[in-house]
Amino acid sequence: MPLLDRILTLLRRLRLPGATVPLLNSEPAHRLLVAHSRSFRDLLVAFACARKAMAELEAAWEDGRPLSMSFIRARCTQVTVNVFKVIRHQGQIADRRDSELERAFSRLRQRIEAILEGERQPVAGEMLLDLAQINRTLTSLTGEKMASLAEAGAITNIRIPPGFVLTAAATDLFFQRNQLYRKINHILQQTEVDELSDLYSKSASIQELIQTAPMAPELETLLLDRFDRLTGAGPACRVAVRSSAIGEEFDRSFFTGLYHTELDVGRDRLIDACKTVLASKYTPQAISYRLAKGLLHERCAMGIGVLAMVEAAVSGICHTCSIDGPGDTLDLFYAPGMAKGIVESTRSVGHLRLSRLPPHRIVRRQEAEDATRPWLTDVEAIALAEAGMRLEHHFGAPREIEWSIDRTGSLFVLQSRPAAVPRASVAPSPPVVAGQPLLHGGVTGCDGAGYGEVFVVRTMQEALHCPRRAVLVVRHPLPSLAPLLHRAVALVAETGNQACHLAAQAREFGLPCLMAMERATELLAAGTPVTVDATGRAVYQGRVEPLLRPTVDRPDPMAGSPVQRTLASALALISPLTLLDPCPADFRTVHCQTLHDIMRLCHGQAVRRMFEFSLRSGQGKAAKRLRSTLPGQWWAIDLDEAPGDDDHRPDIELTDIASPLPHALWGGMQHVSGQKPAFSRRQTAAAALIRAGVRRGFDLIRAPFSREKNYFLISQKYCNLSIQLDRQPVMVEAMFDDQRGAGSITFRAAGSPRQTWRLELLAQLLDHFGYRINRVGGALFAWMDQESDVELFDRLKTLGYLAIRIRGLDAERADAGGLWLCRDKIICEIKEMLHHD
Amino acid sequence: MTEQTVQLEAALKIHLLLVDDDLEFKGVMQRHLERIGIRHSVSVCCLDALDLLEAQNAEVVIMDMNMPEMDGIQCLRKVKERWPLSEVVILTGHASVKSGIEGMESGAFDYCLKPIDIRELIEKIELAAQKALINQEDALLIPATPAVVPQAKRTS
Repeated sequence: MPLLDRILTLLRRLRLPGATVPLLNSEPAHRLLVAHSRSFRDLLVAFACARKAMAELEAAWEDGRPLSMSFIRARCTQVTVNVFKVIRHQGQIADRRDSELERAFSRLRQRIEAILEGERQPVAGEMLLDLAQINRTLTSLTGEKMASLAEAGAITNIRIPPGFVLTAAATDLFFQRNQLYRKINHILQQTEVDELSDLYSKSASIQELIQTAPMAPELETLLLDRFDRLTGAGPACRVAVRSSAIGEEFDRSFFTGLYHTELDVGRDRLIDACKTVLASKYTPQAISYRLAKGLLHERCAMGIGVLAMVEAAVSGICHTCSIDGPGDTLDLFYAPGMAKGIVESTRSVGHLRLSRLPPHRIVRRQEAEDATRPWLTDVEAIALAEAGMRLEHHFGAPREIEWSIDRTGSLFVLQSRPAAVPRASVAPSPPVVAGQPLLHGGVTGCDGAGYGEVFVVRTMQEALHCPRRAVLVVRHPLPSLAPLLHRAVALVAETGNQACHLAAQAREFGLPCLMAMERATELLAAGTPVTVDATGRAVYQGRVEPLLRPTVDRPDPMAGSPVQRTLASALALISPLTLLDPCPADFRTVHCQTLHDIMRLCHGQAVRRMFEFSLRSGQGKAAKRLRSTLPGQWWAIDLDEAPGDDDHRPDIELTDIASPLPHALWGGMQHVSGQKPAFSRRQTAAAALIRAGVRRGFDLIRAPFSREKNYFLISQKYCNLSIQLDRQPVMVEAMFDDQRGAGSITFRAAGSPRQTWRLELLAQLLDHFGYRINRVGGALFAWMDQESDVELFDRLKTLGYLAIRIRGLDAERADAGGLWLCRDKIICEIKEMLHHD
Repeated sequence: MTEQTVQLEAALKIHLLLVDDDLEFKGVMQRHLERIGIRHSVSVCCLDALDLLEAQNAEVVIMDMNMPEMDGIQCLRKVKERWPLSEVVILTGHASVKSGIEGMESGAFDYCLKPIDIRELIEKIELAAQKALINQEDALLIPATPAVVPQAKRTS
C-alpha cells in the first residue's frame, strides 16, 4: 500500500470518525472538489463579513464614542448571520452537519438575542392620576417632573396649578397598540445620525408617525372627561401640556429642555397636544441626546402632565444653588409673561442673586436692558428664595425651579427638579494669557476652553453643515441647536444666560460655553481659528496652548450607560478568542465560548479538509508544485481555477499565479536570503527552509501527509500559508476585498515551551508593525483589519520576512538585551526592504 | 477570466425579481439594474411577487422582510418551496438576530440590512446569480456518487 493511502486510512480511523473521505480520482469526485472549493470561498467571505462587523463592535467599545442601539443590533446581527453561514459552509465541506457545533451556536445566539432585545416589561398602573394623588413613589409611572411637582404641592405655602397626569402606562399602551417601537426602530436603523440632514428628516418622519397614530377611544374619553372636571368645562379654559420623562438613568441624565411643552391648549386640541408632546421624544435634539448618553428610547418612557394655565405676570427660573456665583447664593432669572423665552434665550432676562440663608439678602441685581422698571420686586424675590429653599430642604438637594407669579400676585411652582449639574466646589482659575482677545465679556455657561475654527450658524439650514470640532457661534442658544453640541468644541452665543437649556446641556456634556457675547456672529469670522476661554470669558485668535491644558474633568457621558452595558454583554459572547492554538486537545466544539471561537474552529476544520481534498484530487489539477529557487517543496492549491483548469502541467512558476497575495508573502520570504547575518552560525536560509519541510508536525493541523511539503491555498482574494517554527505550526492568512479596497491579515503561531523567547520577539515585532496582538497560553495570535491594498501587501511581505527571519536566530541571543538588539535590527531590515521596494 | 467577471456574467444571464414597497429604494435599484443590464421585474407586495414568479421564473429574488399582507419569512418559505432553485436575498430595515437566523434557516441566500450600499447589494446579486445557475446545472446532472475506490482494489 502506498504511503499516502496508508496515512489516509489511518486518518479515517483515528481523526475523522464517521466522515466519508472519498479518493478523488474521477470526474464526479473532481466535481466534489469543485463544490468544496466553492463552499470554502463562501466560508471565507462569510468569515470576513463576520470579522468586519466584529471589528466595528470592538472599535466602538475601545473608542467609547457615542453609539446607538441600532448600530449594536445591526452589527451583532451581521456577525451572527455570517457565523451561521460559516457553520453551514463548513458542514458542506465536511459533508456532514456538526450538531454539537450547531447547538453551541444556537445557545450563544439565543443569549445574544436576549441581551439585545432586553427584558422590556410593559408599564403597568393607572392611566390617569390627579396631582393630589401623586408623590415620588409614583415616579416610574408619572415621570420625575410631575411626581416632584405633585409632592411640592403638598408642602406648606407652596402652590401648584391644579392638574392631572396621563401616566406612562397610558403612553406605553399608545406606543404598543400602534406598534410604534418597532416602526421607530425600523426608521432609526436607517438613520445616519452623523448626517444632520438625515437626522432631521428621519426625526420628522418619526414624529409624524406618532402624531398620526390613533389614540384608543377609551383613553381619549378618559382624558377629555378629566379635562372637563379640571377646568369646569368652560370654553375659555386652557391647560399647559407638559412632558414628564421617565428613565432608569435619571440620576445621571437630565433631559433639560429636550421635550416640548404645549401652552394654551383648549379641549379641542388636547389629544393632539398630548401626541405632540409624546412625539417630541424623537426631536433631533432628543435623539442625539440619548445617543450621546447611551440611552435606549424604549426605556425612556414618558408621562404627560396636564396643568391649568397660570395667567403669568412674571415668570422665571430659580437655581437654589448659584450656577457660577458664590456657593452661599442662589440665582433668579425672570422676565414678564411666560418662562419659555427665558430658557430658550429669545428674550432679555433679569437676574437676581440672593443669599441662600434667611433672611434672604439681595447681593446682586441686574435688570434686563429693555426693562423700564424692575420686573420683580424685592418682596417677590425674597418670597421666591424662601420657596426655593423650602423645596431644596424637602428634596434634600439643590433644585431648578420654574415658577410664575399671576396677576393677583400669587406664586405658582410649575416645575421642580434636581439641579442639572451641581457647581464645582471651587471654580478653576483661568491661566494668565498675553495678548488682546477678539472678544471678551458675556457669562460663562460652562467652564473650560476649546480650540477650533469658527462656524457661524444663523439659520437651521446652515446648522445642517456644521463640521466636527468647530467653535459654534450662534445668535440665540435655541434648544433646537442641541444636536450640534456633540460635534462642537465650544459654543459662543450672542444672547442667553446660565439658566437657558442649551447652557444646561453644555454643562452636562462639559462643553465650554460662553453666553451673552454681543455681536459674536459679526466679529468672529467663519473659518477663523480661535481659542474660546469660557472660564476667563474671552475669545482669542489662534491656539492658546496654556488655556487648553485641561483644568476641568470632562464627563464621559457613555460610561456605564445602558447602551454601553449592552455592548459589553454582547461583545463578551462574540469577540474574545480562546481557541488560539489549533492543537487537537483544545480545538473542539466543547471549548467554544464565543462566536469567534466557532468561526475559528470552522475555519480550521475547513482548511484541514481542503488540504485533504486537494491532495487527493490529483496533483496535476488543483495542487501544483511551485518551481522555486528556495529549497523544500512548495505547493500551490488553486481554489479559483480548479473547476475548469485545463492546465495539466505538474509544476508552475510563481509568476503563473495571478493572485498578488502570495507574491507579497513570497517576496518577503525570499528577501531573507539576502540578509546574511540573519541566520545563525549553524544555519543558512536554505537549511532553515529544508528543516521547515521535514520536521514533524509540520502544518497547522499536523496532518502527516503534508509533512514534507509547504502549501499555499490561493484564490484571487485569499492566500493561506502554513509553515513551521520551532516544530510548531505557523499560519499566515490574508484576504482582500477589492470592492472595498481593503483587506485583512491573520497570523497564528503556537509557541514552543522551550523557546518562548522567539514568540515574545515575534509579538514585539508584530506589535511594532501595527498588528493587534493576543496571547493565550503559549500561542500568539496577531491580526489587522481594513488595510488598504498597498499597506496589505507591505504587511504581508513583512510577515513573510519575519516567518523566515525569526527561525534563524540563535537561542543564545535570547536574553533580554539580545532580544531588544534583535528586535531593533530586524525592524531596520524590514524598513529597508520596504523602502527599497 | 476574473472572479468578478464570472459573477457579473452570471448576473447578466438571470432574471431578477425585486420585492419592496419602499418606492425610493425601488427606484434607485431599478436604475442600477438597468445600467448594469440585469433583466428584472418589480413588485410591491409578497402576493403580487408570487403571482409574478408563476408567470415568469426569477433565478434571484431580492425581498424586503417588512411587507404588508404577508410576513417576509412566510413569503420566503413559499418561494423556496415552490422554486427551490431560486436564490433569495432578504433585506430588512429592522435588524434582529432572531429574524436573521430564521431567514437563513428558511433558505435565504443572504440577509442584508438597510441601509445597504448599492454596490454591496449588486455584489450579493451577482453571487446569488452564480449560485442559482449552479443550482440549475446541478439539477440537470444525473446524481452521481463520487467514485470512492475501495482500498483493496487500489492496492491490489
